[in-house]
Amino acid sequence: MKKDLNRVRNIGISAHIDSGKTTLTERILFYTQRIHAIHEVRGKDGVGAKMDSMELEKERGITIQSAATYCTWKDHNINIIDTPGHVDFTIEVERALRVLDGAVLILCSVGGVQSQSITVNRQMDRYKVPRIAFINKCDRTGANPERVTGQLREKLKLNAVMLQVPIGLEGDMKGVVDLVTMKALYFEGDNGETIREAEIPAAIAAECETRREELLDAASMFSDELMEAVLEGTPTPEMIREAVRKGTISLELTPVFIGSAYKNKGVQPMLDAVNYYLPTPTEVENTALDLSKDEEQFAVSNNPDDPLIALAFKLEEGRYGQLTYIRVYQGTMRKGDTIVNSRDGRKVKIGRLVRMHSDEMEDIDEAPAGDIVALFGIDCASGDTFTSPDISVSMSSMHVPAPVISLSIKPVDNKAQVNMSKALNRFTKEDPTFRTYVDAETNETIVCGMGELHLEVYIERMKREYKAEMEVGAPQVSYRETITQRADFNYTHKKQTGGSGQFGRVAGYMEPLEEGNYEFVDNIVGGTIPREYIPSCDKGFQKALEKGALAGAQINGVRCVINDGASHAVDSSDIAFQLAAIGGFKEGYMKAKPVIMEPIMKVAVEGPTEFQGGIMGSINQRRGMIIGTSEEGTYTVVEAEVPLSEMFGYSTVLRSLTQGKAEFTMEFATYRPVPKGVAEEIIKKAKAEKDKK
Amino acid sequence: MLKKDLIAKNPLRILTQDAKGNPIAQRMGLVIARAGLGKTAILVQIALDSILRDNKIIHVSIGQSLDKTRVWYDDIFKDIATASQLENAAAVEEEIMRHRMIMTFNVSSFNRPKLEERLNDLVQQDVYRPDCLIIDGFDFATATREGLADLRELMEVMGMNIWFSAVSHREDDRVSAIGVPAPCHDVDDLFDTIMQIQPDTEHGHNKLNILKDSTGCVAPGTTLNLDPVSLIIQG
Repeated sequence: MKKDLNRVRNIGISAHIDSGKTTLTERILFYTQRIHAIHEVRGKDGVGAKMDSMELEKERGITIQSAATYCTWKDHNINIIDTPGHVDFTIEVERALRVLDGAVLILCSVGGVQSQSITVNRQMDRYKVPRIAFINKCDRTGANPERVTGQLREKLKLNAVMLQVPIGLEGDMKGVVDLVTMKALYFEGDNGETIREAEIPAAIAAECETRREELLDAASMFSDELMEAVLEGTPTPEMIREAVRKGTISLELTPVFIGSAYKNKGVQPMLDAVNYYLPTPTEVENTALDLSKDEEQFAVSNNPDDPLIALAFKLEEGRYGQLTYIRVYQGTMRKGDTIVNSRDGRKVKIGRLVRMHSDEMEDIDEAPAGDIVALFGIDCASGDTFTSPDISVSMSSMHVPAPVISLSIKPVDNKAQVNMSKALNRFTKEDPTFRTYVDAETNETIVCGMGELHLEVYIERMKREYKAEMEVGAPQVSYRETITQRADFNYTHKKQTGGSGQFGRVAGYMEPLEEGNYEFVDNIVGGTIPREYIPSCDKGFQKALEKGALAGAQINGVRCVINDGASHAVDSSDIAFQLAAIGGFKEGYMKAKPVIMEPIMKVAVEGPTEFQGGIMGSINQRRGMIIGTSEEGTYTVVEAEVPLSEMFGYSTVLRSLTQGKAEFTMEFATYRPVPKGVAEEIIKKAKAEKDKK
Repeated sequence: MLKKDLIAKNPLRILTQDAKGNPIAQRMGLVIARAGLGKTAILVQIALDSILRDNKIIHVSIGQSLDKTRVWYDDIFKDIATASQLENAAAVEEEIMRHRMIMTFNVSSFNRPKLEERLNDLVQQDVYRPDCLIIDGFDFATATREGLADLRELMEVMGMNIWFSAVSHREDDRVSAIGVPAPCHDVDDLFDTIMQIQPDTEHGHNKLNILKDSTGCVAPGTTLNLDPVSLIIQG
């Protein structure tokens, strides 16, 4: 039986860390009868929340990997991706948003729009994801959903409109008023599973009227029919919902819902809202690249009868092999079908097709366009496109940030070495922001990632899941080098050691490049360097860029121009010109006044106002540049730019400085030259390490 | 152009030294104009000039976000650096960032005790000691004379310059004896320097009229021109 795509929703749940995403997902699974008991994230029963299936996640109380799950709510199939809140795992959030049609943005009713909410919202904007907001934790002291709605407008520039009014707040929260039906909703029973509809309490009737006016004003912008009905005083709930839906899908309106997942309040109306207001797979335009037409972009049809186009957006190593999460964009994926990986042209047969429910699964025979399912035993990388054999299509690539931190890992014995290789092979496939390489000089394995926690989690997973015991080096910042002025070079590479010799002369100059990492310009006239050796020069320069002379860091931002040279009829070769270019680069490099650059992180520290001075002091001590402070009720947010090298161990410092009341997030901002004193230290250290080797 | 030339050639120079050439250590200044004429742009230029002269400033933004305020600085500095072909602009920009701090307040919660508390946090812990305070978005329409006098006293206690912006309205024709429009017409005595931005329809650009200056730097009635696009003071 074919699935009605109008009754499918692919949604993500994303928010700032500790806003209660996983708790909310747990309630959703309970109310949709996917699970039969609620377990808290840090619950006393020790079971842990359903979506936090990794041991480490349960232990730390944070979601590291987003798990996909599926549920049914009022005849609608909902695929949910629970996404991590920590900024180090941003790629997970980005990937989820890439394949989703809509999202629920969760906010804490006390914390409001926090730094990570801004990042997540920016990501949603990038992928044009329609969203609804859920203001959670309304049972907490200091809860103020109205203020949070204001912040959605001011800080996130969303046209946020409340569709509910709380009946009581903090410890007195009893339920919500639905402004569409103008009914009070109370959540009764042991787990809030019974919804009792009642009249609006008199005490808040006036407020509800005002809020409904606001809602009708905002919604009628998207429907002439509703506008007329409002003027005549006869708007129906259907009309309002239709208008809100239009506004939400066009990204011009953000409906706001409130509740407390922990206290089992407001979750079911939020699920209704997913069905009412978030788009079906056919309402979102997704594009793919036609590889047979020079990567021409086209919109996928969403038609289950068309040739298959599907995207592998997440890999997981399960007990029975690799599990590949797939979003089907067009056509139907069937068990037993042969599909093609458009990256390498390899054909694969679909052996087992499953629908995931956190770490459990159910076998299915087919998945039509719009569905999110998982495949078993398919060897592929995250981001690969699978198609029917008769078409050559790729989904557009995803934005992948470059890693900023690295550390060395050394297995303790041979067994650990084998296990570590297995783990690295899997993790690098699963997560494009986690990379690994072997340092040619030290022979050490280096892993790179987006932050301390990011690497820490992978190392922990290698130890636990793969039993790979290893020695872990201190985290190292990925420095870069660049030049600050133009410098000429004129280098001749000459070697005569019997047999045919090597000869090549390369002359030109290098200069700082404003944008981009490297540019090669060939200004050779008169054939002083033969045509066939021009690419050799380019190759030589690129090799020279790999390790700078100051700290052995990668060199960025250089334009190399060649304008003269010489060759020999017999002794010139590809390698001779590569070596000449390397020599020329080295000659010019020190004259071009090179500097070391370090990654600068955008840091946001949120804490009670009384700790503002201390927080700022701690940032100043870390060579941080304070951009400013914003007032958020009784909290202050300090925003700063701080070198990554100074941020190691900051969470511990911050915790003791603020009695654990402040928290911080950071993300990569830019590369900037390091101060002279620090540069000298780095050079000294690099030299010492080189000598040691 | 070098940084020192940029400082020397800044038209705002006429405002920063008294008749004997001494810098003004304490001053309460006001830039008043109707909405949309460029008050924030003028305040940012005053701040940038102060920073370039090695002073530290705090930009208090009331009701505006931190990012939005930062963009004002980025854009205006970029315009100035491009127009003056400033050498080593990246280093100067970094210096500006180190000498500038933005503080945002909600409109309803801004008052002297709150401001003083947040300033003291920085000064007493030796984190940051401002020489100049820019207060943008202060609501003069609802402010009391006492409230403003209180802020003047804070300026005296902390020994710094404070510059305010104020919005005047076309329909409110009240003016003080020296020509300061409402809502600041009856508090003009609390300010040392008052400037008004006025559109000059004849020449197609806005003018910055100096209505009052009791510091002895500049004669009232002096006028500076503003670039119609970038709002940069042209002298």
